[in-house]
Amino acid sequence: MRKVLQFVLSFSAILLSFNAVANTEAMQMLERMGVVAKQLNYDGIFSYQTGNKLQSIRIIHRADDQGEVERLISLNGVAREVIRTNDMVTCIYPEGKAVQENHRPLGRGFPTDLLRRLSSAVAYYQISFGQQERVASHHTQEIVATPIDNYRYGYSLWVDKDNDLLLQSDLLDEMGNVLETFSFSSVEMGLDIPEQSLKPEMQGNAMSWDRTEYGLSAAKPVSTQQSLWQVTWLPEGFNLVTQQNRFKARNGASIEQQVYSDGLSSVSIFFEKIRARHSHLHGSSKMGAANAFGTIMNAHFITVVGEVPARTVDKMGNSIRFNGAE
Amino acid sequence: MTVNQNELLSALVDGELQGKELDDVLQLLNTNEQARRQLQRYQRTSDVLHDHGVSHHHIDLTDRISATLDDEVEFTTSSKNTAQIIAFPRQFWKQAASLAVAASIGALAVIGVMTQPQNQLVQVPQVASVEIETTPMIVATTGKRWTVEEQEVEERLNSYLVDHNEYAGASGVFSYARVVSYDMGQ
Repeated sequence: MRKVLQFVLSFSAILLSFNAVANTEAMQMLERMGVVAKQLNYDGIFSYQTGNKLQSIRIIHRADDQGEVERLISLNGVAREVIRTNDMVTCIYPEGKAVQENHRPLGRGFPTDLLRRLSSAVAYYQISFGQQERVASHHTQEIVATPIDNYRYGYSLWVDKDNDLLLQSDLLDEMGNVLETFSFSSVEMGLDIPEQSLKPEMQGNAMSWDRTEYGLSAAKPVSTQQSLWQVTWLPEGFNLVTQQNRFKARNGASIEQQVYSDGLSSVSIFFEKIRARHSHLHGSSKMGAANAFGTIMNAHFITVVGEVPARTVDKMGNSIRFNGAE
Repeated sequence: MTVNQNELLSALVDGELQGKELDDVLQLLNTNEQARRQLQRYQRTSDVLHDHGVSHHHIDLTDRISATLDDEVEFTTSSKNTAQIIAFPRQFWKQAASLAVAASIGALAVIGVMTQPQNQLVQVPQVASVEIETTPMIVATTGKRWTVEEQEVEERLNSYLVDHNEYAGASGVFSYARVVSYDMGQ
């Protein structure tokens, strides 16, 4: 009997160690995936599906000594483009407001602390390997990130086994249902991308560039300072990862953005000073898997936006307090 | 506070100021605490007049109930579910738990009493179970457009979404797909 018990315990320990190794390898693959997305040249077509809506998008990404340039073009429906460079995001809409340009004072997303962020996510997700499948004719390994609570969504990520580029991403609710999917149907990697491929096609007669509406960005960074706003409730593991202040190009209103993240999911909170009477979101709204919550406090529009469940943005938004002078 | 200053603050709330007047009133707000308080009073009045009552300034029992329910642990299932042949729907359990919580904070005590016997009667029969594979499916969501009425609000949310996308998602590869997919033509 004692030998049987020893065998069972030993077998369990071996299984646990295999599991730990698999989790570690999945985390390492996830880390490599984040780095490759910034360093690799690629040109491909992917679909974005949410609900019963399907959109095909071409993406061209180039990385070199000058940094990153990325261009996304919608292939069905109304022609739209987004061009992202090191310090600028340009959204081109052919109807109405033609061009919207946003400067990015802090640069591209989380530029330097990706590995640390992912490490911090381990406590709030169970990271493991899933199935091996073909995506866009590439052999991929699925990585599954299952959240520990219902304040964040889960992820299924299919990563190219040869070069670690993410080829498919599913966002999952607590029931395992897919809220939205991004999936490459074809992609070429490691190729030279000419400058011309990164220029917008919709110029000249096809559209007018409305630079006066948004200007050559009157947005300008102001020094980061102590915020007058306090978020008194956050999901476990969410921390303030960045904060920036700038002026809105159109009306000069100052906007403070605070970004909170647990390493995988992130939520932005915008505090926009009211410059004139405008309408604002009161309560909840959603678009695809993104949820938003809005309210007005101390002559500011408060908006919470993120790819997290509605309960999360609602609860964060309702916990905001103003610490400045009344 | 002079009459003129009060008029300027009122005009600021109404969005009627431009140029020097706007600069003057902003300068006033930066230096005068009484002016800031007056502006808040005007803002609240304006919100009420425009049916934009600020929820933080009144006691709303539904908020407390909602917040309490949010803290409740929800029943979750893994990708491999054990399906019982005779089982009550998940929604039933959620409702039962919700009503119990509501009763616990004293808001709906009568319903709590009514619910009690029902909860005791609910017994999931111990029957044979079968293991089924669940296939992930795309659930219906609101599509590629914010669920708001006014274009101005929609534009502001879109602008925020662009800024947020710098930090969104696990990979960075698909960050701006939502922006380029936005269904403006509907």
